[in-house]
Amino acid sequence: MLQLFKNLKGDKAIWAIVALLALFSFLPVFSASTNLVYVKDTGTTVGHLVKHGVLLFLGFMIIYAVHRIPTHYFKGLSLIGLPIVLLLLGYTLTVETNIGGVSANRWIPIPVIGVKFQTSTLASIVLMIWIARYLSKIRDRQISFSESILPLWVPVCLVIGLILPANFSTAAIVGFLVIVLCFLGGYPLKYLGIIVGTGIVLAGLFLAVLYKAPEALPDRAGTWKSRIDTFIHPEAASADASRQVNYAKMAIAEGELFGKGAGKSVMKNILSQSTSDFIFAIIIEEYGLVGGLGLLFFYLLLLFRIVVVANSAKTVFAKLLVIGVGLPIVFQAFINMGVVVQLFPTTGQPLPLISMGGTAIWMTCLAIGIVLSASDKNQVAPKTVDIDDHNPLEVLSGQL
Amino acid sequence: MNRLYLIAGVLFVFAIAVVVKLVDIQMVKGKAYKELAAKKTEQVFTIEPNRGNIYADDGSLLAASVAKYEIRFDANTVSKDNWEKYLAPLCDSLGVLFDKPSAYYRQMLRKARANKNGYKLIARNVEYLDYVRMREFPMFRLGPNKGGFIERHRVVRDYPLGKIAARSIGYERVDEAGHYTRVGLDGAFGKKYLRGNEGKRLKQKSAGSEWKPVGFDNIIEPQDGRDIVTTINTNIQDIAHHALLKQLEKYKADHGCVVVMETKTGEIKAISNLGRTEEGKYYEKLNYAVGESHEPGSTFKLMSMVAALEDKVIDTGTVVDTEKGRWRIYDRTVRDSKWGGYGEISMAKAFALSSNTAFAKMIHENYKDRQTDYVDRLMNMGLHKDLGLPIVGEGQPVLRYPGDKGWSGISLAWMSHGYEVSMTPLQTLTFYNAIANDGELVRPRFVKEARVGNKVLKAFKKEVLNPSICSKETVKIAQQLLKDVVEKKYGTGHGLYSKDFSMAGKTGTCQKNYVAKDPEKLAYISSFVGYFPADSPKYSCIVIIHEPDKSVGYYGADVSGPVFKSLAEKIYITSPIADEVIPENPKEAQIEKAFQQYYAHAQKKYLKVPNVTGMSGMDAIAILENLGIQVEVKGNGKVRSQSVEEGVTIGEIDKIVLELS
Repeated sequence: MLQLFKNLKGDKAIWAIVALLALFSFLPVFSASTNLVYVKDTGTTVGHLVKHGVLLFLGFMIIYAVHRIPTHYFKGLSLIGLPIVLLLLGYTLTVETNIGGVSANRWIPIPVIGVKFQTSTLASIVLMIWIARYLSKIRDRQISFSESILPLWVPVCLVIGLILPANFSTAAIVGFLVIVLCFLGGYPLKYLGIIVGTGIVLAGLFLAVLYKAPEALPDRAGTWKSRIDTFIHPEAASADASRQVNYAKMAIAEGELFGKGAGKSVMKNILSQSTSDFIFAIIIEEYGLVGGLGLLFFYLLLLFRIVVVANSAKTVFAKLLVIGVGLPIVFQAFINMGVVVQLFPTTGQPLPLISMGGTAIWMTCLAIGIVLSASDKNQVAPKTVDIDDHNPLEVLSGQL
Repeated sequence: MNRLYLIAGVLFVFAIAVVVKLVDIQMVKGKAYKELAAKKTEQVFTIEPNRGNIYADDGSLLAASVAKYEIRFDANTVSKDNWEKYLAPLCDSLGVLFDKPSAYYRQMLRKARANKNGYKLIARNVEYLDYVRMREFPMFRLGPNKGGFIERHRVVRDYPLGKIAARSIGYERVDEAGHYTRVGLDGAFGKKYLRGNEGKRLKQKSAGSEWKPVGFDNIIEPQDGRDIVTTINTNIQDIAHHALLKQLEKYKADHGCVVVMETKTGEIKAISNLGRTEEGKYYEKLNYAVGESHEPGSTFKLMSMVAALEDKVIDTGTVVDTEKGRWRIYDRTVRDSKWGGYGEISMAKAFALSSNTAFAKMIHENYKDRQTDYVDRLMNMGLHKDLGLPIVGEGQPVLRYPGDKGWSGISLAWMSHGYEVSMTPLQTLTFYNAIANDGELVRPRFVKEARVGNKVLKAFKKEVLNPSICSKETVKIAQQLLKDVVEKKYGTGHGLYSKDFSMAGKTGTCQKNYVAKDPEKLAYISSFVGYFPADSPKYSCIVIIHEPDKSVGYYGADVSGPVFKSLAEKIYITSPIADEVIPENPKEAQIEKAFQQYYAHAQKKYLKVPNVTGMSGMDAIAILENLGIQVEVKGNGKVRSQSVEEGVTIGEIDKIVLELS
C-alpha cells in the first residue's frame, strides 16, 4: 500500500481533490439510490452502493495505470485510438437502445461485466488528444486553412457527426470544447472564425429544420425540441416537461442553508435521475447551500490545479493535453450544475466523479489519469535521439 | 498563455452564475418552491378513531366496531417448490376452517394459479381470530411476497344481539358527501360520544407509494369514541322481541312494537319494532315506537278521563246513557263495539268497557261550550309536545286547537276516544307511565351513561318533564280505573287477569284507513298500554300491533294484550320483586298459623301492652318494638313470661323484659 502511494506521480492536489470527490460521492449516491430501488424497482440500495464502489475502485485503477504512462505516448495512442473510436461510434449507432421509449443509441453493452459503455465519452477524449497532438505539431509554423482540414477538421467532423444523431447535447459540448482547445492551442483565429461561422450557420439550419420539418430528423429530435422549448418558455411547457427542473428547484429550496442532513432528502423520491443528472439538487437538499458551494469550490480547485499544471507543463503537447482532457471535466461539472439551476436546458450530463453511473466514471478517471501523467514533473521531454527503437509506441509517438 | 486565463476566467464567471442562481432559487423564490415541495411531498393524513361501543344496562355489548378481514391469494408469487410442498396442507387447513372439502380449495387454488390470478378471493368477513389462524396456515405463513397471502380489512359495526332491537341500537353512516344517516342510539349519540375525534398526522412522501410519519407526535391525537351504556335490558328486550314476534306471526299483522319502561326512572328497558317483509317474515324495519305517530284510539280515553276529572266536570260515578251503542252527532255516528250498547252506566264502568258513546257524549256535552278548556287541559299535560328524544325522527303528536284547520263540531266527540289526535306509542306510554308514577311525567331515557373505559364521563339523570300532570286524587282514580280494566269481570282487559300478579292498563282497538269507506281497506290498530304490578308499578309497557288479520282477530285485548301479559309474567319471574313473589312450595301449616297470629297482632292498633306469651320471641319483639316499647330479652324460644302485664297503658312503661324458654 505504502509502495502504491510512493508510486503515485503527478499533481498531489489533483489526486486529493479526486479522492475526496469520489469518497463524498458515496453519500448522495447511497441516499438517492432509494429512488432506483423503490420507485423504479431496480436492485437494492446496498447493491447500488457496492456497484458504485466497484466502479470507482476500477476507476482509480484506471487513473493509476494511465498516469504511469509517459505523456508523449498519448500522441501515438491517439493515432491508434481515433480509427477505433470512429468504428465504435459507428457501431453504437446500430445498437438499439432507448430512453423513455425514444430511440437514443448511445451505448454499447460490454459483454461479461454487463455494463453499458457510452462511446461518445471515450471518443471525445481521444479526439482531444488528437487535436492536442496536432496543435502542438503546428505550434511553430504558419499553416493554411486547407492544410488543417484533413488532419484536424475531418476527424472532428467525423466524431461529432457520429455522436450527433443520438446525443445532440454531447455533440454540441464536444464541438464547443474543440473550439476552445483550438483557441487555446494557437490555431489561427481567422480560420477558427470560419469554423465557428460555419457552425453557427449549420446550427441555424438545424434549428430551422427542427421547427419546420422535424420528421426529417431522428427520433431524438422531439426531445431536443421540447427541452429547448421548456428552457426558453418554462411557463408554457407541459407539466411533465418542466417537472424535472421544478423538482430540482424544490429540492434546492428545501435544502436551505445547511440542508436536511445526509439521507434525509425527500425530493429524491419524486425526482427521477436523482442519482445522476440531478444529483446536485439532492446534494443541496441534504447538505444545504453550504454543501453545494463546497462541492463547487472543489471543482474550481480542480480547475485551478489544471491551469497550474498546464502552465507548468514542460512541453506544448503536455500543456494542451492537460487543457484538452482536463477542462472538459470541470466544464461538464458546471454544465450539470447549470442544468440543475436552469442556466441550461436539460442535458444528460452526469456530475463527474459524483453521479452514479457506469462507464462515465471510468472515462472521467481516464481523463484524470492523463492529466496526472502530464503533471508529472519528473518526466523529461524526450529528445529525438533518445528514441528507444524497441518500443513501437515510442517510435510512433516520436514521429508525431 | 493569456488565453487559458481567459477561458478559466469564463468558467469562473460561470461558476459564479451558478451560485447566483442557487441563491436566487433559495432565497428569493425559496418560499414558493418550498410550498410546492410541501404540496408534492407532504400530506396530512387523518387517523380514524375507534368508534365507541354500545352496552346494555348489565354491560353486555349491543354494538361494537370490529375488524372483518377479506382474505385473498396471489397465486403468482408462490415459488414452484413452495407450491408443491404446501398446497395440500394449506387446502386441508382451509377445509377444516371453513368446513368444506379440501379438494374444493385444491381445485380453486390450482385454477387461480393456472389463470395467473393475483387476487383470488378466499374468504370474506373473516373474524379476527380466524384471520390470525389463517395467517399461520402452511404457505400463507410465508407472507404476502412468498406465500401470496393478501389481507384486506375494514371496520364494521357488529351487533352481538343480531337483529334484536336493531332499529333502536341503530347505526350511523356517512356518505361521500359527508351526510350522515343517523339511526337509533348509534346515530343519536354518534357525534357527541361514539364517533370520537379524528387525529391528524403529517406524513412525508417516502419511496414509491409509501408515506412515512414526520416527527414523533401527531398534529392532533385521535380520540377514540366514548362508550354508551344504554338502559336496554337484554333479558327484557329478548322477551319483548319474541313475544311480539309470536303475536305478529299469529295475527299476520303488518307491523308492531313493544316498549317497556321503568316507571320511576323512565329508563327504556326494551324496545322492539318489527315489520313484515313481503315473504311474511318480520324484522326490525323501522322504529315505529319512536317514529310512527298515529291515532291512538281507545287508549286516549285515559287522557280524556283525566282531563274531565281534573276539570271536575264528571266523577267516576257520573252516569251516562250509551244510547244503545249508537250516538248521532251532526251527521256522524259514534258506535260502541258492542251492538246495542251498555245501557246507562257510570263513567268508571264506561272506561272499563271502553264505551265510545259514553266518552263522546261525556266530553262533547261537557265541553261543547268551552272547547278550549278540554284542549288546554290536554296541553297542560304536555300531550301536544314531542318528548325531545335523542333518537332522530321522533313522530310529532297532533292535537288540534279549536279553530285550527280540521277542527269541527264533532272534534270533541272524536278526540274523546282517540281520533283526530295522533301520538307515537312512546308518547302514549309516557303518559300512562306518569299515571303509574303518581303523576310525575318522566322523559323516556335510553342512555344511562357515557364512559371512557371504566370511567363515567357523563351520567344521564332522570328527567322530569312535569312533576305533576294532575292532582293526586285524579291520579288515584285513574290508577283504579286502569286496574279495573283488568280486574273487573266486565273490563275489556279481563282476559289478561291473573290471580298471581296484578296489572293495570287500557286496551285500544283503533280503526285505520276508515276514510276510504272501503271495508276491504279498513284495518285496525290493536293496542294495550299499562303497567305492572298494579299497586306499586315497576314497569310500564305498551304493545301496538298494526293491521292484524281481521279474520284472526283485531281487538286490542286479544291481539296486543297477550304480549303485555307474557312480558309481565316473564319479568315477574326473572325480576326480584320481593313482595310479589309467590313461593312455589305450599307453606307449612304451622308456620302459616304462627304467621296468621303475628299478622293479627300486627294489624291491631294497641294502646295497651298486648299479651305476647306463647308467641315466638322474634315476633313478640317485632310487635312490641313497633309499639315503641324497649324490649329486653332473656333466653331463647317462645315467650314464657312478660315483665309487664297485658292491659297496662303503653305510655306508662319504658321497658319490658321477656323471658323465653
